[in-house]
Amino acid sequence: MKKILSLVLTLAMLLSMVSVIGASAEEAVGYTYGDTFYSEEPVTYSMYFSDASWYPMVETWETEGVFKKIEELTNVTIDVHSYDSGDYNSKTTLEINAGQSAYIIPKVYDESPFVDGGAVVAVSDYVQYMPNYTNFYERYDLKGDVDTIVRSNGSYYRLPGMHETPLQDYTLMIRDDIFQAAGYDVAALEKDWTWDDLCEILVGVKAYLVAEGKITEDTYIWSDLWCGSESGQGNGGNLLKLIAASYDVPSGWAVGNGMMFDAEKNEWYFASTTEDYKEFVTVANKFISNGILDPETFTQDDTTATNKFYNGETVIMSMNRGQYTTWMSGLETGLGEGNYSTYVTVYPKGSNNYVSENSRLECGVMISNNALKALGEDGFIKMMRFVDWLWYGEQAYDLTKWGVEGETYEVVTDEAGNAVKQLLPGFKCGGLGISGAEEDVDIRLQWGYAGGNFWYGHSLAQNSDNFIPVIRDYFNRMGEYRDIRPINPSVVTTEDENEQMNLWKTPLIDNVNAWTLQFVTGQKDITADWDAYVASCNGLNAESLAQMTNEAYARTQAE
Amino acid sequence: MNHKGVRKEKLAASDIAMLGKKEKLSTHIAKNWQLYAFLVIPIIYYIVLRYIPMAGNVIAFRRYRAGSSIFGDEWSGLKYFRQFWRDGSYWRAFRNTLTLNISYLAFRFPMTLIFALLLNEIKNVRWKKLVQTVSYLPHFISMVIIAGMVRELLSSNGPINHMLVALGMDKISFIALPEWFPTIFVGSGLWQGLGWGTILYLAAMANISPNLYEAAEVDGASHFQRVMHITIPSIMPTIATLLILDIGGLVGSGGSFEKVFLLYNPMTYETADIVSTYVFRMGLGSGNYSYATAVGLFEGIINLVLLTLANMISSRLTDNGLW
Amino acid sequence: MAQTVQTKPAHLGKPMHVRESTGYRIFTVFNTILMIIICAVTLYPFLYLVAQSFSSEQAIIQGKVSIIPVEFNITTYQSVLAKGDFQRYYLNTIIYTIIGTVLSLFTTALLAYPLSKKHLRLNKFFTPFIIFTMYFGGGLIPNYMLMVNLGVKNTAMGFILPGMIGTYYVLLMKSFFAGVSPELEEAGELDGLSKFGVFFRIVLPLSMPIVATMLLFYASGYWNNWFNAYLYLDDKENWPIAYYLKTIISGASTSADPGEVSAESMQVAANIKSCSMVLMSLPIICVYPFIQKYYVQGMMLGGVKE
Repeated sequence: MKKILSLVLTLAMLLSMVSVIGASAEEAVGYTYGDTFYSEEPVTYSMYFSDASWYPMVETWETEGVFKKIEELTNVTIDVHSYDSGDYNSKTTLEINAGQSAYIIPKVYDESPFVDGGAVVAVSDYVQYMPNYTNFYERYDLKGDVDTIVRSNGSYYRLPGMHETPLQDYTLMIRDDIFQAAGYDVAALEKDWTWDDLCEILVGVKAYLVAEGKITEDTYIWSDLWCGSESGQGNGGNLLKLIAASYDVPSGWAVGNGMMFDAEKNEWYFASTTEDYKEFVTVANKFISNGILDPETFTQDDTTATNKFYNGETVIMSMNRGQYTTWMSGLETGLGEGNYSTYVTVYPKGSNNYVSENSRLECGVMISNNALKALGEDGFIKMMRFVDWLWYGEQAYDLTKWGVEGETYEVVTDEAGNAVKQLLPGFKCGGLGISGAEEDVDIRLQWGYAGGNFWYGHSLAQNSDNFIPVIRDYFNRMGEYRDIRPINPSVVTTEDENEQMNLWKTPLIDNVNAWTLQFVTGQKDITADWDAYVASCNGLNAESLAQMTNEAYARTQAE
Repeated sequence: MNHKGVRKEKLAASDIAMLGKKEKLSTHIAKNWQLYAFLVIPIIYYIVLRYIPMAGNVIAFRRYRAGSSIFGDEWSGLKYFRQFWRDGSYWRAFRNTLTLNISYLAFRFPMTLIFALLLNEIKNVRWKKLVQTVSYLPHFISMVIIAGMVRELLSSNGPINHMLVALGMDKISFIALPEWFPTIFVGSGLWQGLGWGTILYLAAMANISPNLYEAAEVDGASHFQRVMHITIPSIMPTIATLLILDIGGLVGSGGSFEKVFLLYNPMTYETADIVSTYVFRMGLGSGNYSYATAVGLFEGIINLVLLTLANMISSRLTDNGLW
Repeated sequence: MAQTVQTKPAHLGKPMHVRESTGYRIFTVFNTILMIIICAVTLYPFLYLVAQSFSSEQAIIQGKVSIIPVEFNITTYQSVLAKGDFQRYYLNTIIYTIIGTVLSLFTTALLAYPLSKKHLRLNKFFTPFIIFTMYFGGGLIPNYMLMVNLGVKNTAMGFILPGMIGTYYVLLMKSFFAGVSPELEEAGELDGLSKFGVFFRIVLPLSMPIVATMLLFYASGYWNNWFNAYLYLDDKENWPIAYYLKTIISGASTSADPGEVSAESMQVAANIKSCSMVLMSLPIICVYPFIQKYYVQGMMLGGVKE
């Protein structure tokens, strides 16, 4: 009897335990999380939103588009604080500084100005509550990458966008018809071509065009975008970043604080005054001195470059996958269908075979301390799980990128037997590179899908689910022909070091950028003025910066 | 109450001040309470909108962290002042501020004066008014638009470069070349401000008694002589006042911020970066607020001292001052 | 002024022959030509802009447009004007300019009038008190915090308050008021008017030139301002036209973002830019010549003290 009783009791206990476990956290906390997120109580979280003037947010996004669908799926209303993308960084900075920040701060590229003041939450303390994030982190082993954003207290403050592999999204597009006519088959050349080779080819193409009487000797056949007045980071933007990376130095968008890591010596050095850097500016300058690249590239508006390309005035220009369809439709308008052909090249290499992208991290999300204060620990964890769903979950990824299955897109089986997504008839999306008829509804313009605030990161399969064959082909070739540079080790700086390095950085990098552009455009002579340039950098604490970085690095290693 | 009355009262007041200033002040206020009442709203405005935020300047001496107290967390003494004192980029910005201001003044000052004198010689009232109207126009146009126009005009496909090519010269990338920045700065400044700058001179000229000219004409003075011997001496106080005030403002960079900000780029920092744009980049641009505030504070002090001096000199010499 | 001249009659002493006819005529011709050149140079950028706004995008990019529109069309204007956004920004600007100008005028006059009274002993304190603010400010963040705490962010006042009283304008107005005849004011007081009455019934009506001047200065200031909108107006619905223009003339970008943001960008076409610039400048161009008489007088009496 006693045995039976104890057995029953044990069973009952076990059952109740099981039922408690079965309910898991969900019932206890009043919401589900993970692959889906649903809050039983309606909640509202404030969030910043970077509003791009080329697909401005409109009311329908909230009444029927992306924000409405998020609300339907999760019972979370997003209180959107939207700023023009050009001012997004400074506006959010100002509000965070003033303690007025919205809870969720997406599209953050550099969190370092905020980490010491307590304005933003050390998100690393909460990733344990974020199953999608940790899943991805572990599956693709992102520890090394994420360590690069860890601060001296061992925490990090930005939930980074994460990729399965780095994607070399930026490259060069050429007018294949003209190159072919001039006798250059780029598809055959691109595997091993260097920037010097490209320059020679362009000189040849120009000679051909001049001989044909199509242009005059003083015409530039290359005028690039993402390098001029709109590119930020001290002009030079994309192009100098690409060229510099081929010579092991940082420049353009990638300039950072100019530091590079020497794996052999196991130390950091200031790369902008090295012989490598000299080689880089020399190569870049060739394009100008040979009359190929328009020097206005580094000061002009982006439209100037695209228009010249559309009109057939130029034969080569930078592109990324998001802009491919735009470039193509521009050419169609400018030149007429059938009068041109293009080729997306694997851009040239230099002294190494690396592509410029090597980080698997993207811009990411910061969380304001205001959220923790206002929601309390439990409410805050709940919000973090919502964030986890929205930025790292598959359901949200598909929603924010493609819309709603059956409404805007469907999943079909392609010839190879793979399930692929495609937009339903009547829809198009410039942002996904999917063109359509004039009267088709652009799901990005109309409802805010495929916008830049949500769907960065994720696995290669997810990332490429909208790639059209041309782009897929390009990525395949790029992956085959080029290598990925190993990531630099992490350097953890103290607050004081951080402040001091930041103070040195602004004038120093201003100086580097100014001289670089002057060397490249030929305003300064690379041989004659080089020593003066190096001296000017040293006068602006370049050596101290390297020394402090190495001290911090040594300390990081020791720990 | 006429001026003489005022003078007397003032004298009396200062005499009696020795006996009991306090009461006298309260009586003074009681007597003029209505006029002082005018001031209530504006002075509250100044206290709230101008003086309260000024307390934020304390972060020049304190360590500021984003999101922590806006008055900084701990004292840092003169650390940030020492830092910019040793900072080559600050001094470059300081030098550029001076160079740009001086070269602008060197052109603007004589040209405005000459333009005013020439305008004054136009006899046809309508024509004169038309020229004035046209030349005032740029003064009212937003700097955003002016910068846009300058970029358009100077671009490689713009009219200026077309003209150069037509004259058989090479195209020039004006916006990218540091040596051209001062010219662009001064040129666009003259274009925008030349007409407007004549207003005060024309006003002063309009005040000259016609009798003087008539008398000179009777004496047989030529037009040129009349200008040299009547017009210019008559407006000398205005010239002196404006010149002194301009000189006092030579180290100021706040007024040029928008223009430089909209026209410069890293290639032209060498000659274009002025103190206010440097402060902006160090502050909002890269988060060094304490440093930026220290630089701003320093500039404010130099400015205040120089302009107060200029104003004193101007008041002494010409009985004309800004305040 | 007259005084200064009379003290130096010596300059005029020497009798000279009048050689007006030829010399002066040549000068007049030269002067007229010069004035025409100055006018042309001043107007050229505007005409260039207008020509662009009526030209096709292609023609602008190829640099074909100089002063006459190439491939003339008004479709750019039609599309810009038809945009709901554009209309709203324009309307906002009008509202801000009107409210702002009225408030500015009122408060500036309130401050300038007592300051112009030399017998007010406290002016010795108040005048430096306001002038000091011309050289020292609070910096971005304290100002921003203040606006937040005043609860005016995202309202018309958020746009207006920061620049509501311009110290330089106060000084101009003060100088003007100082020149108003004290006898008239006294006469008003004898008629039983309070100081307020004197100010509103006698001084202000006599000061129309400076009032018109201030009107123009403040109005054009509000009309052209984008920085306050950038700082204090978050919702697009509240934007003034100047800020919209700033976002599309992106050479003016305050962005410190790495390129990824701008990289996606499909930039606004050149003809839309020039068209918006023309539309923004138009009201000012239309208004300022008609107030010229006043502001010339206002600057004259306010700026040149005797």
